[in-house]
Amino acid sequence: MNSRRDFLKRLSGAALAAGAVPRLLAWALPQGQTLEVPGEDGMILRSFRFVDLESPVEYFNTWLTPVPHFFVRNHMHEPSEVNADDWRLSIGGEVEKPLTLSLRELSKIRTHSVVNTLECAGNGRGLQRPQVPGVQWGKGAVGTAQFSGPRLRDVLQRAAIKSTGKHVMFRGLDEIPGKVPPFIRSIPIEKALDADTLIATHMNGSPLSKHHGFPSRALVPGWIGAASCKWLTEIKVLETEFAGNFMNPGYRLPNQPVKPGDTVKPEDTHPVTALGVNSVIAGPSDGSSAKTGKVIVNGAAWAGEADITKVEISTDGGSTWNSARLGREQARYAWRLWSYEWNAGQSGDYTILSRATDNQGRTQPAIPAWNPSGYLYNAVDQVKIHLA
Amino acid sequence: MWHKIIRDISQLCLVLTIALPFEMWAQKSAPTSLSADLPAGPMQAKAVTVCMECHEARIILQQRLSKAAWTKEVDKMTKWGAVVEPADRDALIDYLSTNFSPDKPAYEPPRTAGHKSSPENTLK
Repeated sequence: MNSRRDFLKRLSGAALAAGAVPRLLAWALPQGQTLEVPGEDGMILRSFRFVDLESPVEYFNTWLTPVPHFFVRNHMHEPSEVNADDWRLSIGGEVEKPLTLSLRELSKIRTHSVVNTLECAGNGRGLQRPQVPGVQWGKGAVGTAQFSGPRLRDVLQRAAIKSTGKHVMFRGLDEIPGKVPPFIRSIPIEKALDADTLIATHMNGSPLSKHHGFPSRALVPGWIGAASCKWLTEIKVLETEFAGNFMNPGYRLPNQPVKPGDTVKPEDTHPVTALGVNSVIAGPSDGSSAKTGKVIVNGAAWAGEADITKVEISTDGGSTWNSARLGREQARYAWRLWSYEWNAGQSGDYTILSRATDNQGRTQPAIPAWNPSGYLYNAVDQVKIHLA
Repeated sequence: MWHKIIRDISQLCLVLTIALPFEMWAQKSAPTSLSADLPAGPMQAKAVTVCMECHEARIILQQRLSKAAWTKEVDKMTKWGAVVEPADRDALIDYLSTNFSPDKPAYEPPRTAGHKSSPENTLK
Protein backbone atom coordinates (compact mmCIF):
# COMPACT_ATOMS: atom_id res chain seq x y z
CA MET A 1 0.00 0.00 0.00
CA ASN A 2 0.94 3.65 -0.11
CA SER A 3 2.73 2.96 -3.35
CA ARG A 4 1.78 6.39 -4.64
CA ARG A 5 3.11 8.09 -1.56
CA ASP A 6 6.32 6.07 -1.79
CA PHE A 7 6.50 6.86 -5.48
CA LEU A 8 6.17 10.56 -4.77
CA LYS A 9 8.80 10.37 -2.07
CA ARG A 10 11.18 8.59 -4.42
CA LEU A 11 10.35 11.02 -7.17
CA SER A 12 10.91 13.89 -4.78
CA GLY A 13 14.35 12.59 -3.88
CA ALA A 14 15.36 12.00 -7.48
CA ALA A 15 14.07 15.36 -8.63
CA LEU A 16 15.74 17.26 -5.86
CA ALA A 17 18.98 15.45 -6.56
CA ALA A 18 18.80 16.52 -10.17
CA GLY A 19 17.44 19.97 -9.37
CA ALA A 20 14.60 19.34 -11.77
CA VAL A 21 10.86 19.84 -12.10
CA PRO A 22 10.17 21.91 -8.98
CA ARG A 23 6.79 22.89 -10.47
CA LEU A 24 5.70 19.28 -10.47
CA LEU A 25 6.60 18.82 -6.84
CA ALA A 26 4.95 22.03 -5.83
CA TRP A 27 1.73 20.52 -7.15
CA ALA A 28 2.26 16.98 -6.05
CA LEU A 29 3.30 17.62 -2.50
CA PRO A 30 1.65 20.80 -1.14
CA GLN A 31 2.65 21.25 2.45
CA GLY A 32 4.39 17.90 2.26
CA GLN A 33 1.22 15.91 1.69
CA THR A 34 0.38 13.38 -0.94
CA LEU A 35 -2.99 13.93 -2.56
CA GLU A 36 -5.89 11.54 -2.43
CA VAL A 37 -8.52 13.95 -3.68
CA PRO A 38 -10.71 12.58 -6.45
CA GLY A 39 -10.02 15.07 -9.20
CA GLU A 40 -12.34 14.10 -11.98
CA ASP A 41 -15.79 14.47 -10.59
CA GLY A 42 -16.64 18.14 -11.00
CA MET A 43 -17.24 18.47 -7.29
CA ILE A 44 -17.15 21.68 -5.28
CA LEU A 45 -13.87 21.61 -3.39
CA ARG A 46 -14.60 22.83 0.13
CA SER A 47 -11.32 21.34 1.34
CA PHE A 48 -8.84 18.75 0.16
CA ARG A 49 -7.18 18.28 3.54
CA PHE A 50 -9.41 17.02 5.09
CA VAL A 51 -11.36 15.93 2.05
CA ASP A 52 -14.69 17.76 1.94
CA LEU A 53 -16.45 17.70 -1.44
CA GLU A 54 -19.89 19.06 -2.22
CA SER A 55 -22.14 17.95 -5.08
CA PRO A 56 -23.24 20.74 -7.42
CA VAL A 57 -27.05 20.75 -7.15
CA GLU A 58 -27.44 20.21 -10.89
CA TYR A 59 -26.27 16.63 -10.25
CA PHE A 60 -29.49 15.90 -8.36
CA ASN A 61 -31.41 14.65 -11.37
CA THR A 62 -31.03 10.91 -10.77
CA TRP A 63 -32.68 8.99 -7.96
CA LEU A 64 -29.40 7.31 -7.08
CA THR A 65 -26.41 9.62 -6.95
CA PRO A 66 -23.39 8.15 -8.77
CA VAL A 67 -20.57 7.58 -6.29
CA PRO A 68 -18.18 10.00 -8.08
CA HIS A 69 -20.85 12.69 -7.56
CA PHE A 70 -21.67 11.83 -3.96
CA PHE A 71 -20.60 14.39 -1.35
CA VAL A 72 -17.67 13.55 0.91
CA ARG A 73 -17.42 14.78 4.49
CA ASN A 74 -14.36 14.02 6.59
CA HIS A 75 -13.58 15.48 9.98
CA MET A 76 -10.07 14.07 9.95
CA HIS A 77 -7.54 12.39 7.71
CA GLU A 78 -8.75 9.33 5.89
CA PRO A 79 -6.90 6.18 6.92
CA SER A 80 -3.66 6.14 4.95
CA GLU A 81 -3.82 2.39 4.69
CA VAL A 82 -6.66 -0.08 5.02
CA ASN A 83 -5.77 -3.64 4.11
CA ALA A 84 -8.92 -5.69 3.58
CA ASP A 85 -7.14 -8.86 4.70
CA ASP A 86 -5.96 -7.34 7.96
CA TRP A 87 -9.06 -5.29 8.73
CA ARG A 88 -11.08 -6.41 11.73
CA LEU A 89 -14.35 -5.28 13.30
CA SER A 90 -14.64 -5.79 17.04
CA ILE A 91 -17.95 -5.92 18.90
CA GLY A 92 -17.74 -5.51 22.66
CA GLY A 93 -18.90 -3.57 25.70
CA GLU A 94 -22.22 -4.58 27.24
CA VAL A 95 -22.40 -7.95 25.47
CA GLU A 96 -22.17 -11.54 26.67
CA LYS A 97 -19.93 -12.74 23.84
CA PRO A 98 -17.50 -10.14 22.50
CA LEU A 99 -16.40 -11.00 18.99
CA THR A 100 -14.11 -9.93 16.20
CA LEU A 101 -15.00 -10.30 12.54
CA SER A 102 -12.81 -10.27 9.45
CA LEU A 103 -14.18 -8.87 6.20
CA ARG A 104 -14.58 -12.41 4.92
CA GLU A 105 -16.62 -13.35 8.00
CA LEU A 106 -18.71 -10.20 7.72
CA SER A 107 -19.45 -10.94 4.08
CA LYS A 108 -20.94 -14.31 5.03
CA ILE A 109 -23.68 -12.68 7.10
CA ARG A 110 -26.95 -12.18 5.27
CA THR A 111 -26.97 -8.90 3.36
CA HIS A 112 -29.73 -6.31 3.38
CA SER A 113 -30.05 -3.25 1.13
CA VAL A 114 -31.42 0.19 1.96
CA VAL A 115 -31.76 3.13 -0.41
CA ASN A 116 -30.98 6.05 1.83
CA THR A 117 -30.65 9.79 1.43
CA LEU A 118 -27.55 10.72 3.38
CA GLU A 119 -27.26 14.35 4.37
CA CYS A 120 -24.58 16.10 6.36
CA ALA A 121 -26.04 17.79 9.44
CA GLY A 122 -24.30 20.97 8.27
CA ASN A 123 -25.75 20.96 4.74
CA GLY A 124 -26.70 24.56 3.96
CA ARG A 125 -24.61 25.97 6.81
CA GLY A 126 -23.13 28.57 4.48
CA LEU A 127 -26.58 30.04 3.93
CA GLN A 128 -27.31 30.64 7.61
CA ARG A 129 -27.10 34.20 8.94
CA PRO A 130 -25.31 35.19 11.04
CA GLN A 131 -22.60 32.82 9.83
CA VAL A 132 -21.28 30.12 12.09
CA PRO A 133 -17.96 28.25 11.94
CA GLY A 134 -17.63 24.99 10.06
CA VAL A 135 -17.55 23.80 6.47
CA GLN A 136 -19.59 26.40 4.59
CA TRP A 137 -21.73 23.96 2.65
CA GLY A 138 -24.22 25.14 0.08
CA LYS A 139 -27.10 22.74 -0.58
CA GLY A 140 -25.07 19.87 -1.98
CA ALA A 141 -23.90 17.94 1.11
CA VAL A 142 -26.59 15.37 0.39
CA GLY A 143 -27.01 12.38 -1.89
CA THR A 144 -28.92 9.14 -2.27
CA ALA A 145 -27.42 5.69 -2.69
CA GLN A 146 -28.25 2.05 -2.22
CA PHE A 147 -26.25 0.81 0.75
CA SER A 148 -25.83 -2.92 1.34
CA GLY A 149 -24.36 -5.07 4.08
CA PRO A 150 -25.30 -7.07 7.15
CA ARG A 151 -27.92 -5.69 9.51
CA LEU A 152 -26.26 -4.25 12.60
CA ARG A 153 -28.78 -6.13 14.75
CA ASP A 154 -27.74 -9.49 13.29
CA VAL A 155 -24.15 -8.81 14.36
CA LEU A 156 -25.20 -7.48 17.77
CA GLN A 157 -27.38 -10.53 18.35
CA ARG A 158 -24.36 -12.78 17.76
CA ALA A 159 -22.62 -10.89 20.53
CA ALA A 160 -25.72 -11.17 22.79
CA ILE A 161 -26.47 -7.71 24.13
CA LYS A 162 -26.82 -7.49 27.90
CA SER A 163 -29.94 -5.86 29.34
CA THR A 164 -27.68 -2.99 30.43
CA GLY A 165 -26.84 -2.14 26.79
CA LYS A 166 -28.70 1.04 25.84
CA HIS A 167 -26.47 2.76 23.28
CA VAL A 168 -24.19 1.59 20.49
CA MET A 169 -20.91 3.36 19.81
CA PHE A 170 -19.02 3.42 16.52
CA ARG A 171 -15.31 4.08 16.09
CA GLY A 172 -13.63 4.44 12.71
CA LEU A 173 -10.05 4.35 11.51
CA ASP A 174 -9.78 8.11 10.84
CA GLU A 175 -6.28 9.39 11.52
CA ILE A 176 -6.48 12.03 14.21
CA PRO A 177 -4.39 15.20 13.89
CA GLY A 178 -2.94 16.94 16.92
CA LYS A 179 -4.99 16.57 20.08
CA VAL A 180 -8.32 16.61 18.25
CA PRO A 181 -10.84 14.35 20.00
CA PRO A 182 -11.51 11.13 18.06
CA PHE A 183 -14.61 11.07 15.88
CA ILE A 184 -16.60 8.63 18.01
CA ARG A 185 -20.37 8.82 18.29
CA SER A 186 -23.20 6.59 19.51
CA ILE A 187 -26.83 5.88 18.65
CA PRO A 188 -29.60 4.61 20.95
CA ILE A 189 -30.10 0.84 21.03
CA GLU A 190 -33.57 1.12 19.46
CA LYS A 191 -32.13 2.65 16.28
CA ALA A 192 -29.21 0.21 16.32
CA LEU A 193 -31.65 -2.72 16.34
CA ASP A 194 -33.81 -1.29 13.55
CA ALA A 195 -34.03 -3.69 10.60
CA ASP A 196 -32.67 -1.01 8.24
CA THR A 197 -29.57 -0.02 10.24
CA LEU A 198 -26.60 -1.64 8.52
CA ILE A 199 -22.94 -2.36 8.62
CA ALA A 200 -22.67 -1.31 4.99
CA THR A 201 -19.95 -2.72 2.78
CA HIS A 202 -21.38 -1.70 -0.59
CA MET A 203 -22.70 1.49 -2.18
CA ASN A 204 -24.69 1.40 -5.42
CA GLY A 205 -23.67 -2.21 -5.89
CA SER A 206 -19.90 -1.75 -5.57
CA PRO A 207 -17.60 -2.08 -2.56
CA LEU A 208 -17.39 1.19 -0.65
CA SER A 209 -14.76 3.53 -2.01
CA LYS A 210 -12.10 4.83 0.32
CA HIS A 211 -13.78 8.23 0.60
CA HIS A 212 -17.01 6.56 1.67
CA GLY A 213 -15.53 4.32 4.33
CA PHE A 214 -13.98 1.19 2.81
CA PRO A 215 -14.31 -1.55 3.87
CA SER A 216 -17.35 -0.89 6.05
CA ARG A 217 -19.36 1.92 7.53
CA ALA A 218 -22.37 2.22 9.74
CA LEU A 219 -25.52 3.17 7.85
CA VAL A 220 -28.10 4.77 10.11
CA PRO A 221 -30.93 5.56 7.69
CA GLY A 222 -32.83 8.80 7.93
CA TRP A 223 -30.34 10.28 10.37
CA ILE A 224 -27.61 12.87 9.91
CA GLY A 225 -24.55 11.62 8.05
CA ALA A 226 -22.38 11.86 11.18
CA ALA A 227 -24.29 8.91 12.65
CA SER A 228 -23.03 6.67 9.84
CA CYS A 229 -19.40 6.28 10.95
CA LYS A 230 -16.95 5.49 8.14
CA TRP A 231 -13.98 3.04 8.16
CA LEU A 232 -15.78 1.24 10.97
CA THR A 233 -13.49 -0.86 13.16
CA GLU A 234 -15.13 -0.97 16.59
CA ILE A 235 -18.71 -1.34 17.80
CA LYS A 236 -19.21 -1.04 21.52
CA VAL A 237 -22.48 -1.43 23.40
CA LEU A 238 -22.73 1.14 26.20
CA GLU A 239 -24.96 1.74 29.19
CA THR A 240 -25.18 5.44 28.41
CA GLU A 241 -24.74 7.74 25.43
CA PHE A 242 -21.06 8.02 24.47
CA ALA A 243 -19.45 10.96 26.22
CA GLY A 244 -17.19 12.65 23.69
CA ASN A 245 -16.79 15.91 21.82
CA PHE A 246 -18.80 14.82 18.79
CA MET A 247 -21.79 13.91 20.97
CA ASN A 248 -21.53 16.90 23.32
CA PRO A 249 -21.00 19.77 22.64
CA GLY A 250 -20.88 18.64 18.98
CA TYR A 251 -23.98 17.74 16.96
CA ARG A 252 -26.57 19.25 19.29
CA LEU A 253 -29.51 21.59 18.75
CA PRO A 254 -31.02 24.09 21.19
CA ASN A 255 -34.07 22.78 23.06
CA GLN A 256 -35.82 26.10 22.52
CA PRO A 257 -35.60 28.58 19.63
CA VAL A 258 -32.77 31.04 20.18
CA LYS A 259 -32.10 34.51 18.88
CA PRO A 260 -29.69 34.42 15.94
CA GLY A 261 -26.16 34.87 17.23
CA ASP A 262 -26.93 33.83 20.81
CA THR A 263 -24.81 31.31 22.67
CA VAL A 264 -26.55 28.23 24.06
CA LYS A 265 -25.57 26.30 27.19
CA PRO A 266 -24.82 22.60 26.58
CA GLU A 267 -27.48 21.60 29.12
CA ASP A 268 -30.08 23.40 27.01
CA THR A 269 -29.40 21.24 23.96
CA HIS A 270 -30.21 17.78 22.60
CA PRO A 271 -28.48 15.54 20.03
CA VAL A 272 -29.26 15.95 16.34
CA THR A 273 -30.64 12.65 15.07
CA ALA A 274 -33.20 12.39 12.23
CA LEU A 275 -33.16 14.75 9.27
CA GLY A 276 -35.73 17.47 8.71
CA VAL A 277 -37.90 18.07 5.65
CA ASN A 278 -35.95 19.64 2.82
CA SER A 279 -35.86 20.18 -0.94
CA VAL A 280 -33.46 21.45 -3.53
CA ILE A 281 -33.94 22.84 -7.03
CA ALA A 282 -31.56 21.06 -9.43
CA GLY A 283 -32.68 23.00 -12.48
CA PRO A 284 -32.86 25.57 -13.84
CA SER A 285 -29.59 26.76 -12.34
CA ASP A 286 -29.49 29.85 -10.19
CA GLY A 287 -28.55 32.85 -12.32
CA SER A 288 -29.26 31.10 -15.61
CA SER A 289 -31.24 32.39 -18.59
CA ALA A 290 -33.86 30.61 -20.67
CA LYS A 291 -36.43 31.31 -23.32
CA THR A 292 -40.06 31.94 -22.49
CA GLY A 293 -42.38 29.01 -23.01
CA LYS A 294 -42.13 25.63 -21.37
CA VAL A 295 -39.60 25.62 -18.52
CA ILE A 296 -39.01 22.39 -16.58
CA VAL A 297 -38.26 22.96 -12.91
CA ASN A 298 -36.88 19.84 -11.24
CA GLY A 299 -35.16 18.70 -8.08
CA ALA A 300 -35.29 16.40 -5.08
CA ALA A 301 -37.05 16.41 -1.69
CA TRP A 302 -36.41 14.32 1.42
CA ALA A 303 -37.51 14.07 5.03
CA GLY A 304 -35.26 11.62 6.91
CA GLU A 305 -37.46 9.02 8.59
CA ALA A 306 -40.64 10.65 7.27
CA ASP A 307 -42.19 10.54 3.79
CA ILE A 308 -42.52 13.43 1.39
CA THR A 309 -46.20 14.06 0.70
CA LYS A 310 -45.95 17.08 -1.58
CA VAL A 311 -43.59 19.52 -3.19
CA GLU A 312 -44.91 22.93 -4.19
CA ILE A 313 -43.36 25.33 -6.64
CA SER A 314 -43.73 29.05 -6.84
CA THR A 315 -42.60 30.99 -9.89
CA ASP A 316 -43.60 34.39 -8.55
CA GLY A 317 -41.44 34.66 -5.46
CA GLY A 318 -43.93 32.92 -3.14
CA SER A 319 -47.24 34.61 -3.93
CA THR A 320 -48.80 31.51 -5.48
CA TRP A 321 -47.85 27.82 -5.30
CA ASN A 322 -48.46 24.82 -7.56
CA SER A 323 -47.88 21.14 -6.90
CA ALA A 324 -44.92 19.45 -8.53
CA ARG A 325 -45.16 15.91 -9.87
CA LEU A 326 -43.34 13.44 -7.62
CA GLY A 327 -41.08 10.88 -9.25
CA ARG A 328 -42.07 7.24 -9.41
CA GLU A 329 -38.98 5.91 -7.62
CA GLN A 330 -39.29 5.84 -3.86
CA ALA A 331 -38.06 4.04 -0.77
CA ARG A 332 -38.63 4.63 2.91
CA TYR A 333 -35.50 6.68 3.58
CA ALA A 334 -34.87 7.97 0.07
CA TRP A 335 -35.58 11.32 -1.50
CA ARG A 336 -38.26 11.80 -4.15
CA LEU A 337 -37.33 13.43 -7.38
CA TRP A 338 -39.89 15.99 -8.53
CA SER A 339 -40.59 18.12 -11.56
CA TYR A 340 -42.87 20.95 -12.53
CA GLU A 341 -43.69 22.10 -16.03
CA TRP A 342 -44.02 25.85 -16.05
CA ASN A 343 -45.54 27.69 -18.98
CA ALA A 344 -43.68 30.95 -18.73
CA GLY A 345 -45.36 33.45 -20.98
CA GLN A 346 -43.51 36.67 -20.35
CA SER A 347 -39.87 37.60 -20.39
CA GLY A 348 -38.32 39.03 -17.26
CA ASP A 349 -36.58 38.11 -14.00
CA TYR A 350 -38.16 35.41 -11.88
CA THR A 351 -37.60 33.82 -8.48
CA ILE A 352 -38.52 30.15 -8.38
CA LEU A 353 -39.12 28.51 -5.00
CA SER A 354 -39.52 24.88 -3.90
CA ARG A 355 -41.25 23.87 -0.67
CA ALA A 356 -41.61 20.29 0.57
CA THR A 357 -44.06 18.87 3.12
CA ASP A 358 -43.88 15.46 4.82
CA ASN A 359 -46.31 13.03 6.44
CA GLN A 360 -45.40 14.34 9.89
CA GLY A 361 -46.95 17.64 8.85
CA ARG A 362 -43.62 19.42 8.61
CA THR A 363 -43.15 22.01 5.87
CA GLN A 364 -39.96 23.82 4.93
CA PRO A 365 -39.91 27.27 6.53
CA ALA A 366 -39.09 30.51 4.74
CA ILE A 367 -36.46 31.17 7.40
CA PRO A 368 -35.32 28.20 9.50
CA ALA A 369 -34.57 28.45 13.21
CA TRP A 370 -30.98 29.63 13.64
CA ASN A 371 -28.64 27.47 15.72
CA PRO A 372 -24.99 28.01 16.73
CA SER A 373 -23.59 25.17 14.62
CA GLY A 374 -25.67 25.66 11.50
CA TYR A 375 -27.35 22.24 11.57
CA LEU A 376 -30.35 21.08 9.52
CA TYR A 377 -30.74 24.25 7.47
CA ASN A 378 -33.90 23.67 5.46
CA ALA A 379 -35.22 26.98 4.18
CA VAL A 380 -37.50 26.94 1.13
CA ASP A 381 -35.04 26.66 -1.75
CA GLN A 382 -34.85 29.33 -4.41
CA VAL A 383 -33.21 30.15 -7.73
CA LYS A 384 -33.33 33.36 -9.72
CA ILE A 385 -33.52 33.12 -13.49
CA HIS A 386 -33.98 35.41 -16.46
CA LEU A 387 -36.41 34.60 -19.27
CA ALA A 388 -35.89 36.25 -22.65
CA MET B 1 34.10 15.42 -15.41
CA TRP B 2 32.41 13.72 -18.40
CA HIS B 3 31.42 10.90 -16.13
CA LYS B 4 29.66 13.38 -13.83
CA ILE B 5 27.89 15.16 -16.72
CA ILE B 6 26.70 11.85 -18.17
CA ARG B 7 25.51 10.77 -14.73
CA ASP B 8 23.62 14.08 -14.23
CA ILE B 9 22.04 13.85 -17.68
CA SER B 10 20.96 10.27 -17.13
CA GLN B 11 19.52 11.22 -13.74
CA LEU B 12 17.61 14.13 -15.28
CA CYS B 13 16.30 11.87 -18.07
CA LEU B 14 15.13 9.40 -15.46
CA VAL B 15 13.28 12.13 -13.60
CA LEU B 16 11.72 13.54 -16.76
CA THR B 17 10.72 10.09 -17.94
CA ILE B 18 8.90 9.50 -14.67
CA ALA B 19 7.74 13.02 -14.03
CA LEU B 20 6.48 14.36 -17.33
CA PRO B 21 3.68 11.85 -17.86
CA PHE B 22 2.73 12.41 -14.27
CA GLU B 23 2.72 16.15 -14.73
CA MET B 24 0.65 15.83 -17.89
CA TRP B 25 -1.82 13.73 -15.92
CA ALA B 26 -1.78 16.24 -13.11
CA GLN B 27 -2.48 19.13 -15.46
CA LYS B 28 -5.25 17.22 -17.17
CA SER B 29 -7.05 16.11 -14.04
CA ALA B 30 -6.42 19.02 -11.71
CA PRO B 31 -6.64 22.37 -13.45
CA THR B 32 -7.37 24.10 -10.17
CA SER B 33 -4.57 24.47 -7.69
CA LEU B 34 -5.05 22.00 -4.92
CA SER B 35 -3.20 24.18 -2.48
CA ALA B 36 -4.42 27.62 -1.47
CA ASP B 37 -2.72 30.42 0.38
CA LEU B 38 -3.63 32.55 3.34
CA PRO B 39 -3.61 36.30 2.64
CA ALA B 40 -0.57 38.44 3.30
CA GLY B 41 -0.24 40.05 6.69
CA PRO B 42 1.99 40.19 9.73
CA MET B 43 0.66 36.86 11.01
CA GLN B 44 0.50 35.00 7.71
CA ALA B 45 3.59 32.88 8.29
CA LYS B 46 2.61 32.02 11.83
CA ALA B 47 -0.96 31.20 10.80
CA VAL B 48 0.42 28.83 8.18
CA THR B 49 2.62 27.14 10.77
CA VAL B 50 -0.11 26.96 13.39
CA CYS B 51 -3.13 26.01 11.24
CA MET B 52 -1.77 24.16 8.21
CA GLU B 53 -0.24 21.46 10.36
CA CYS B 54 -3.66 19.82 10.50
CA HIS B 55 -5.76 21.29 7.66
CA GLU B 56 -5.48 23.34 4.52
CA ALA B 57 -6.08 27.05 4.00
CA ARG B 58 -9.53 26.71 2.41
CA ILE B 59 -11.00 25.70 5.75
CA ILE B 60 -10.10 29.23 6.88
CA LEU B 61 -10.70 31.06 3.58
CA GLN B 62 -14.38 30.05 3.54
CA GLN B 63 -15.21 31.33 7.06
CA ARG B 64 -16.89 34.69 7.68
CA LEU B 65 -16.88 35.17 11.44
CA SER B 66 -16.98 37.89 14.05
CA LYS B 67 -13.99 38.55 16.28
CA ALA B 68 -15.77 36.81 19.16
CA ALA B 69 -16.32 33.72 17.02
CA TRP B 70 -12.70 33.70 15.81
CA THR B 71 -11.55 33.96 19.42
CA LYS B 72 -13.55 30.84 20.27
CA GLU B 73 -12.14 29.03 17.25
CA VAL B 74 -8.52 29.91 18.02
CA ASP B 75 -8.93 28.84 21.64
CA LYS B 76 -10.64 25.59 20.59
CA MET B 77 -7.90 24.79 18.10
CA THR B 78 -5.23 25.56 20.70
CA LYS B 79 -6.92 23.06 23.01
CA TRP B 80 -6.89 20.60 20.11
CA GLY B 81 -3.16 20.88 19.58
CA ALA B 82 -2.50 24.02 17.53
CA VAL B 83 0.70 25.52 18.90
CA VAL B 84 -0.18 29.19 19.47
CA GLU B 85 2.37 31.07 21.54
CA PRO B 86 0.51 33.11 24.19
CA ALA B 87 2.18 36.26 22.84
CA ASP B 88 0.77 35.53 19.35
CA ARG B 89 -2.82 34.71 20.31
CA ASP B 90 -4.33 38.18 20.05
CA ALA B 91 -2.45 39.02 16.85
CA LEU B 92 -3.61 35.74 15.27
CA ILE B 93 -7.22 36.48 16.21
CA ASP B 94 -6.86 39.99 14.75
CA TYR B 95 -5.40 38.58 11.52
CA LEU B 96 -8.24 36.07 11.11
CA SER B 97 -11.05 38.41 12.10
CA THR B 98 -9.72 41.19 9.85
CA ASN B 99 -9.35 38.99 6.77
CA PHE B 100 -12.36 36.73 7.28
CA SER B 101 -15.07 38.91 8.76
CA PRO B 102 -18.81 38.68 7.93
CA ASP B 103 -18.66 41.78 5.71
CA LYS B 104 -16.15 40.21 3.27
CA PRO B 105 -17.48 38.86 -0.02
CA ALA B 106 -18.36 35.17 0.03
CA TYR B 107 -15.54 32.75 -0.76
CA GLU B 108 -15.90 31.10 -4.16
CA PRO B 109 -14.70 27.51 -3.94
CA PRO B 110 -13.09 25.88 -6.97
CA ARG B 111 -14.34 22.69 -8.53
CA THR B 112 -12.41 19.52 -9.02
CA ALA B 113 -11.89 18.60 -12.65
CA GLY B 114 -15.05 17.31 -14.23
CA HIS B 115 -15.76 14.48 -16.57
CA LYS B 116 -18.75 12.44 -17.59
CA SER B 117 -19.10 9.77 -14.95
CA SER B 118 -20.89 6.63 -15.94
CA PRO B 119 -24.29 6.98 -14.28
CA GLU B 120 -25.08 4.50 -11.55
CA ASN B 121 -28.72 5.39 -11.37
CA THR B 122 -29.96 1.91 -11.80
CA LEU B 123 -29.98 -0.69 -9.06
CA LYS B 124 -27.66 -3.58 -9.64
